[in-house]
Amino acid sequence: MTFDQVLEAVSGEPVHRSSRWTTQSVKHVVTCDLMSDVLVSDHDEILLVTSLPSDQVARTADMVGACGVVLVNGKAPQPSLVELCTRFDLALVLSPLGSFEASWRLGERLRGRP
Amino acid sequence: MIPIDPNASPSALLELIYRLKVKDIMTGQVKSVEKDTSLREIQRIMRENKVSGVPIVEDSRLVGMISVDDIIRALDQGYIDSPAAVHMSRKLVVLEDDMPVSFAISSFEKYQYGRFPVINRARELVGIVTSRDVTSGLLMEMNRSLEEMERVLNLQAAPGPIGQVKRVFLVQQFDYENAGRASTELKKILQDRGVDRTLQRKAAVASYELEMNLVNHSLGGRLIFHVDDEQATIEAVDQGPGIPDLAKAMTEGFSTANDWIRSLGFGAGMGLPNTKRVADEFDLQSAVGKGTHVKAVIHLKPRPGDKP
Repeated sequence: MTFDQVLEAVSGEPVHRSSRWTTQSVKHVVTCDLMSDVLVSDHDEILLVTSLPSDQVARTADMVGACGVVLVNGKAPQPSLVELCTRFDLALVLSPLGSFEASWRLGERLRGRP
Repeated sequence: MIPIDPNASPSALLELIYRLKVKDIMTGQVKSVEKDTSLREIQRIMRENKVSGVPIVEDSRLVGMISVDDIIRALDQGYIDSPAAVHMSRKLVVLEDDMPVSFAISSFEKYQYGRFPVINRARELVGIVTSRDVTSGLLMEMNRSLEEMERVLNLQAAPGPIGQVKRVFLVQQFDYENAGRASTELKKILQDRGVDRTLQRKAAVASYELEMNLVNHSLGGRLIFHVDDEQATIEAVDQGPGIPDLAKAMTEGFSTANDWIRSLGFGAGMGLPNTKRVADEFDLQSAVGKGTHVKAVIHLKPRPGDKP
């Protein structure tokens, strides 16, 4: 799944397009508001879906080598979160959808369903 | 008396007393009373709250002040049961919360009072400032600035033996603004050394878990990295409070985190178990009242018996 497909799936708005925006292939999605749980995930280059708009989201995503963050529930990111995503070269997408709806739609895309 | 001479102090200190505002050093949540409160009641409040002055308010506006001297006089002259309004000082010198601390210092010099009430722009009482607040506020800020300087110095630390890197980071309790910075640095060191991505992630996760533990649970401590070609060692050393039950702390899901920590996305009770899970070597020592020392080692060159 490309980032453009992610955008479409979650009716998203891109806040930061990482340098790999057009080349990155998203294979795993982790939805979580508890960053402790994200740190337990073993997949490479995950897309992190969360409703937590704090700096620690970017830091956690960077630690686990995630490729991007989708901030759901129409949450506005703190300016420092945008700055950190830019510094860590993480894609940041805002979505008006709730966690479940966004995850379900991303799951359908990952399974190749439109 | 505040031992700061505005004409002959180091410029760093002068910069501080202009940069810091009265609201940064004052004691907020002041115990104030209405003007019909008896002096006896005020005496009790002083004793219980260990304060030497109580502001008198009317609809949150400051109208007077009763000091311990007023109470002594009342006891001496036998009017301790009369209301505050009759005996309070009405000619008050107040400070505004947005004023620089330098104003507070000159007021202490000029008026020789023990305390000044602090009001906001709406003229409401928001705090009280004593000379002790000024000195401790300045000390705290100087301490913070020094720690920041140490942090910067560490970033520029002299290189050790060729191929080895050592870094020490000071991590402060509840410092969520800087939480994670040290681990970001470790990840960058490993990245620059061309370490495999999976190993980078293991080391970064171990380091971040330990760093967040220091921020969330310790009284502050240090995060120490040693990296060479063979391994990355991460040590978290704190000054307390220590872990009462190590077995419980190593149990997944057990956490002493409060709701506030959880609202920031941490405190799932996974920190130490997850650090152990990703590390090739793990050691935990702790003593209540002394502190905790955690060591996690990630092998950068695979060894027999390593985790996949």
